[in-house]
Amino acid sequence: MRAADRIAAVLLLAFSAAFAAGALKYYKWWGDEGPGPAFMPFWLGLLMALLAGILLVRSLREKAPGAAWLPQGAGLRRMLAVLALTVAFVAALKTTGMVLGTALFLGAIVRYLGRHRWWVCGAVAAAAAGFNWLVFVHWLRVPMPAGPFGF
Amino acid sequence: MDFVGNLALGFSVALTPFNLVMAVAGVTIGILIGALPGVGPPSGVAMLLPLTFGMEPTSGIIMLAALYAGTMYGGTITAVLINTPGESASVVTCLDGYQMALQGRAGHALGIAAIGSFIAGTVGVVLLMLVSPLLARWSLSFGPPETFALMLLGLTTVTLLTGDDPLKGYISMALGLVLAMVGFDIISGEARYGFGIPEMMDGVDFLPVAIGLFGLGEVLVGAEAAAGAQVVQGRLGLRDALPRWADVVRTRWSIFRGTVFGFLVGVLPGAGPTVASFLAYTTEKRLSKHPERFGRGAIEGVAAPESANNAAATAAMVPMLTLGIPGSATTAIMLGGLMMWGLRPGPMLFEKNPQFVWGLIASQYIANVLLLILSTLFIPLFVRALRVPYSILMPLIIVFCVTGAYSLKNSLWDVGTMLVFGGVGYLMKKLGYSPAALVLALVLGPLAERALRQSLIISDAGLGILFLRPIAAVLTVAALLAIVVPLGRALLKALRARRPA
Repeated sequence: MRAADRIAAVLLLAFSAAFAAGALKYYKWWGDEGPGPAFMPFWLGLLMALLAGILLVRSLREKAPGAAWLPQGAGLRRMLAVLALTVAFVAALKTTGMVLGTALFLGAIVRYLGRHRWWVCGAVAAAAAGFNWLVFVHWLRVPMPAGPFGF
Repeated sequence: MDFVGNLALGFSVALTPFNLVMAVAGVTIGILIGALPGVGPPSGVAMLLPLTFGMEPTSGIIMLAALYAGTMYGGTITAVLINTPGESASVVTCLDGYQMALQGRAGHALGIAAIGSFIAGTVGVVLLMLVSPLLARWSLSFGPPETFALMLLGLTTVTLLTGDDPLKGYISMALGLVLAMVGFDIISGEARYGFGIPEMMDGVDFLPVAIGLFGLGEVLVGAEAAAGAQVVQGRLGLRDALPRWADVVRTRWSIFRGTVFGFLVGVLPGAGPTVASFLAYTTEKRLSKHPERFGRGAIEGVAAPESANNAAATAAMVPMLTLGIPGSATTAIMLGGLMMWGLRPGPMLFEKNPQFVWGLIASQYIANVLLLILSTLFIPLFVRALRVPYSILMPLIIVFCVTGAYSLKNSLWDVGTMLVFGGVGYLMKKLGYSPAALVLALVLGPLAERALRQSLIISDAGLGILFLRPIAAVLTVAALLAIVVPLGRALLKALRARRPA
């Protein structure tokens, strides 16, 4: 946790400096009537820099490295797999369409996470994709990305 | 009395068949969502908000408010049966509720929670009905300085109360405010931090952010922790979950105190159901003649916090509706919903949209009755739902997050935003930052900026205006105390630790 705090603090410091400087550089500090669009971002950048600075000092003075927070082993693998499958699902949406994409994603992820039988995965995928179509496409008329079969 | 007329109007709105169905759906879905460990009220409201955009705003808010009440009870089921809080307001319920379940008294625990929630919820609505119009009338006199001071107070108290580490809470809040700066400046109309991307120039929409932080983020945390929750076995039939009269009589004062505390805490901007439940529990323990019974299955330890969290959930609507200041992450998301429906929360809401406000109030009475009926009749069903494996529930939640984010504006950009903040939410949770503070700051940011800049225009650029007007002064000082006291205490602790023992 100590290392994570230090990294976060440094990143936040850099970000807030850029944010505050950007405000002054690109936007007007004071308008005809009063504070302009740069006013609030500038002070916010300063505020965040101050908070990040306190975090940095605090973590530098900490002697114990603190509890490990990075997931390890099976937990890490599972989390990354879920994240990767979700990203792939979203990235493929334009090609597969919402209904087919949902079914494919669910079939794959339910099988991976639960090692359920194939028919269970298939049933979950089909039911959820059908529900999705019914509620969002049919009832709410949301123009979902359409797949190769027109839905 | 205009109450009677207003309430009659409210019931005529809330009792239409469609709105009644929405209330039933809200309570049912709420109980289920609340029962799922990790998915709490903010995730539920964020995920279901897109569904309500096709409806009348009144029907939408009726469903969301019913859902909020339902989640409060749903969290109890999980707390009692699995010893895992379904949402944060049920954390203390685990202490005695799970012990009662181990002793074979799960039905008693759930029964008293149901009746306590019913009493507290109903009293809460009565108070909501009495207090809100007065508060709304009073706040009509608020100018920009008062508004800004009030927002500052809401932001600082939420930040203070939602995390273990105040410093990280304030960093989360600052991040939310920074995100709120992206997009068109309300006063000058200039686009800020857009980097030439049209979607960025429109600003960061809070809903994909909230769905990502609370929905996807929680799922990722859950995916990492191997899911193998063990439901307490044993008979839990229909008759077991019925509230017992003897229990109610025994705990009547606990329920009463829980209700009062819950409402008072809930009305404060920032302090929500979670704080209320902790406060109610510690009070009961302190007042009890046998404090040693607490933690070993004391029924008061279930009755008081469960009453408190329901009263607080109702009370949290008061500042949201009358002042436009949400008291918690959940009400922040609801507030965002109101704005998307084109309603402006605040004192004028009562004047301009009486059918909306009173429909909501009346529907809360109905939701409480529904909650009592559903929670006693269908307990066996909800318990069975808990047995659906996490490996099936989690993927379904992800799909719901993706479709929900997409359907807001039919844009894949929002889905991308949701994904990014899913990752951010995971990291924030793991590293001890506060997603609730970020979302609240993102919602309040533009309003706070406008109020501050208008104040400075009025005062001719002096910050003194925040201290010279009496109401603004009280609020500002309270907000500053909320910042200075915890940071000062942390500093003192650090100094004391350095002194050789």
